[in-house]
This record gives sequence, structure tokens and C-alpha cells, in this order.
Amino acid sequence: MNLFHFSIQVRILRYCLSRARSYFGFALFICFLGVKADVRANDHYEIVTNLNVSETALTVNSLRSIFSMSLKTWSDGTKIRVFVLSDDDKLHKAFSKEKLNVFPYQLRSTWDRLVFSGTGQAPVRVNSIEEMRDKVINTPGAIGYLWRANIDENVKVLQIK
Amino acid sequence: MLFVVGNLSVQAQEVPSQKQSELIRPLNKKLQSTDLFAQTDEIGASRVAEKPGLVSTAMQWLRSTDLPGDLQIHGFVSQAYITTSDNNVFGNSDNGGSFGLTEAGLNASVRPLPRLQLSAQVLSRRAGKGNSGIPRLDYAILDYQLYSHEANQFGIRVGRLKNPFGFYNETRDVAFTRPSILLPQSIYFDRTRNLGLSSDSVQLYGDVAVFDRGTFSTQFGVTLPVVDNRDTESSLLGLVRDGSLNREVSYIGRGIFETNDKRLRLGISGIWLNTSYDPKNPISSLNPLELGPGGLEFTPVFFSAQYNAERWTLTSEYAIRPFQYNHNFQNPNLNGLHVVGESYYFQGEYRFTPKWEGILRYDALFTDRSDRNGSDWVAENPARRHGLEHSRFAKDITVGLRWNVTPAFMLRAEYHYVNGTAWLSGLDNPIDLRTGRPFDTDQHWHLFAIQASYRF
Repeated sequence: MNLFHFSIQVRILRYCLSRARSYFGFALFICFLGVKADVRANDHYEIVTNLNVSETALTVNSLRSIFSMSLKTWSDGTKIRVFVLSDDDKLHKAFSKEKLNVFPYQLRSTWDRLVFSGTGQAPVRVNSIEEMRDKVINTPGAIGYLWRANIDENVKVLQIK
Repeated sequence: MLFVVGNLSVQAQEVPSQKQSELIRPLNKKLQSTDLFAQTDEIGASRVAEKPGLVSTAMQWLRSTDLPGDLQIHGFVSQAYITTSDNNVFGNSDNGGSFGLTEAGLNASVRPLPRLQLSAQVLSRRAGKGNSGIPRLDYAILDYQLYSHEANQFGIRVGRLKNPFGFYNETRDVAFTRPSILLPQSIYFDRTRNLGLSSDSVQLYGDVAVFDRGTFSTQFGVTLPVVDNRDTESSLLGLVRDGSLNREVSYIGRGIFETNDKRLRLGISGIWLNTSYDPKNPISSLNPLELGPGGLEFTPVFFSAQYNAERWTLTSEYAIRPFQYNHNFQNPNLNGLHVVGESYYFQGEYRFTPKWEGILRYDALFTDRSDRNGSDWVAENPARRHGLEHSRFAKDITVGLRWNVTPAFMLRAEYHYVNGTAWLSGLDNPIDLRTGRPFDTDQHWHLFAIQASYRF
């Protein structure tokens, strides 16, 4: 192996390294973006309840049962009243997919089955985020979701475990 | 390097918005080109929307007013137009089509106590000669939750309850909850629907969390079936006769496992139905059609499976349906008759957009699973039954399209190619009493249907 060959090999190696580094940087950047997007999606809204609700935290299972309308009472025995935005609302979609891990159409068919077989009730649908806020503030036992910007001391933010 | 990444991320954040506007532009162009179509649609929609407008304002008022006991009121109205190449489905459909299928329902529910729910629904169904449209009490239920902790619930229901079998039976009259205008007839017979639909019963129910993976929901009921109608009689006894069917204690149960993400649903349901015939007159030469006081047992088992993805849903159900008649009917055709029927379907639904959905299905029914082409049945009595093999099976290929115009208003159309006549209603396709043969049925036939449905 002469010097010429060696220098070519080094060059190739250097080139590969630099490519690898840029790929790595790109991958890191993608991860970074992904994490950032994730944080942003989960960070901008919260599950909220009326102030009289005694719970401060819920398991994911309980949250799912509440929005599937099968869990009907809080731990102190009072009524749970569920409020949702329309199926195609951005916040409702984000909430269904991220917190409950279901698609809005699946929730809709669960609720339809309950209502039209007489074995349950559907959540109350509100038309706007303002109406959601009003209902959660003024209805005992209410649960819903709000953008961070709409949350103040008049509602309670629930932690989901 | 960090600086570079930072710069890149700033650029990248700008990119999506540029991409979006690029995406929107061609869409706008598309919209312009379809403006004409949209305008004609608007006219049609506004005409349709006139009536619901009143209803929806009333509902809006109901919803915005705080009602005592969490009262909820819901309802639906559906109208279908059905035309067939041969044979009658819901009216005289092979003669220029018919508007013979109208469904309407109104229900109310209250929760006077946190664990107590009362609900009732009145249903009107006009469908061929079997259902006249006279409103009837569909369900009236008292539901009390006895135990409740996180995802685990147990309770009891008393009253007239919808029979829980398969995926669709409990809400089969609500067009919005059905995958198609006609449910797969092999399992959800429309001719014996009143028998299958609801019954007076006491039911225990429970939901149990399964290892953080999903929920297992069970229902078990002791029931008195609703058998006092002509279609059921005609299906179970071959004809509408002078006497009537007795209501006897029957049992029904179902278990459904559903994963937490509601993607996979697996179910098994079973019915043990008992009924007996109460003749009005003793058998004599004067009424040769009368039967003796025989009893019959119908014990079907249903297996159901469904997979739900964001865009598509795959569903399949299988049923095995044993009938056992005892020896007291004093009729050679019914005495000791034991037939095991078999049904299944495979169905795919695809959501092109949230507004547009397509469906494709293959549905098969065999009245006697040991005689799938009906030849043995004909061989028993060739003089009377020759050429009627097709009344012992039905294979239905369905293609359909659904348009969710608004969340409350839906239009759809579907086409069926059917080989066989096993699920046709005997009332809409009558039998000649002298020959015991249907007047006019054809083995190969087509069905086309459109439907509009509104709900609140």
C-alpha cells in the first residue's frame, strides 16, 4: 500500500465521518423537533373539573371510563357530569388522541350505543371553549378540558397518573 | 454546531407554514372548479335543513337550559328508498321501487340519583307488511349501578331492554349507528326483528378492567321475549296462523372485550329462547292449517370481532343457530324438526375523509348448515319444493357510500347483489296456500337503496 492509496483512504474515511456526523446531527435535530412538538401538544391544555370535585388526580383508566360514560360518580359519591367539544374540534381531537388514545369517531360510536340502547347517557356537547369554561365553573361535578390560556383559579386542574 | 441546529430549527419552523399555504392553494383551485356542484348541493341541503332547523333550535334551547336530573332527549328520523330487480324488500320494491322503510325514534333519560338512570324510547318503524309504523315502546329501563371503582362497574337493569347480541342489535334501528342501510341480514334478520330486538327482562351487567390492557363488559339477562307479531310467527311456523305464540322464560348473555384504545373488540353472545304455540281451535278438517300445542327452542351463539384504525374498520361476525321443535305440533313438517343454521359476514369500512365513508361486505346465510345448497330439503318433497333450493341460502355482496353532510344529517347509497332468497320476509313475498310455494321469487337479484337520516 503506497502513500497515495493511504491518503485516499483517509480522505474517504474523513468524508464518511463528516457525513455520519451530519446524519447524526440531523437525527438529533429531528428528535429535538419531535420532543418539542410533543411537549407543546401536551402542554397547552389540561383536564379540568369544577372546584367542588374532591379528586386532585385520576388514573388514565378512570379518565377513560369517565369519558366512555361508564364511570358515573366521583369517589365521594356525587355525579360526574362530562362536557365535550364537537367531534371535529381541534382540542377535542388532541384530547381524544393524546389523553385517551382513541379517535373521536370511536368515542362517538360508544356514546351512540349508550344513548340509543338506553344503557347510558352521552356527554353534554358545548359549542365553544368559553361555553366549556362556563359549564365547568358552574356545574357541580363537571369535568372537561381547556386550553391553558383559558384556565384560572375558578377551575381545578386534574393531574393524570 | 448548536448554532447551526438553532438556525435550522428556525428555518424548519417556517417551512411548515409555507408548505401549508402551498397545500391550500391547489385546494382553493379545486374548490373553484367544484363551485357549481357545491351550489346545487347547497340548494338541496337548505331545502332539507328547513325542517330540522326548527328541531335543532328547540334542541339548542333544551341543551342550554339546565334541566333537572340531567334530562337528555335524543331522537332520529330516517327515510329510505329501495328498489329491487326481483323479490320484495320492505314493500313492493321490485315494481318501480318503494319508500317503504321509515324509521323514527325519540328517547329520554334522567339521572335522579348519581347511580340511578331511567330511560325510555318510543320507536316507529314502517317496513313492508311486517311493521306498520305504529309507535311502540322500544325500551323502558331502570338502571342502578351497585358498585363502581375506577374502570370496574357492576349494576342491574330492569324493564324492557334491548337484547344484547352481536355488535349492532341494540341500536339496529338508528341509521347513524349502522354500517349500511340494511344490516347484514344473515345475523340481523329484519323479518324476526321484533323477536330479537327487545324483551322484558332483568339484567345484570359488569365492566372489569383486564390487566391495564382493556375492559371486559358482560351482560346477562332473564327475559320474556316479544313474540306476539305476525312476522315472527310466519318465520318460526311457516305461516301466520289462528293461534298465537306464548312467551316463556328465556336467557340472553354477552361478553365483549375491548382494548383500552378501542381498536380491538372481541365479543361472544348467546340466546336461549323458548316459545310455544297456543292453538286457537282444535285441529279438524275445517282448519287444516292449524297446529298442535308444540314448543320450540332457539339457541344461537354469536362470535364478533372488530378492528378499528384511524381510516378503516374491519368487522366480522359468525353465528350458529340451532332450532329444535318438539313433537306436539301434530304437523309432519314441524314435529321433531331440528335445523342448525349458519351465518357470517366480513365487512370493511373506509373513511376517505371524516365526511365520506365507503363500505364493502360479503354476507352469507345457510338455513341448514348440513344442506348448504338446499338440495336435500327439496329432495324431501320434490313435488312441492322443486326449484326452491334458493330459499335455503342467501349470499349478499354489498357496496355502499356514506356522506356525513353535517354531524346530524347523513345521506347514503348502497348496492346489493344477492344470490338466494333465504332472508326474504314471507309477508312481503307471500306463499300460495294451495301449493305451499312462494308466488314469485327469483334466485339472483339486485337491490339498490338510498337513505337520508337526521338525528339530534
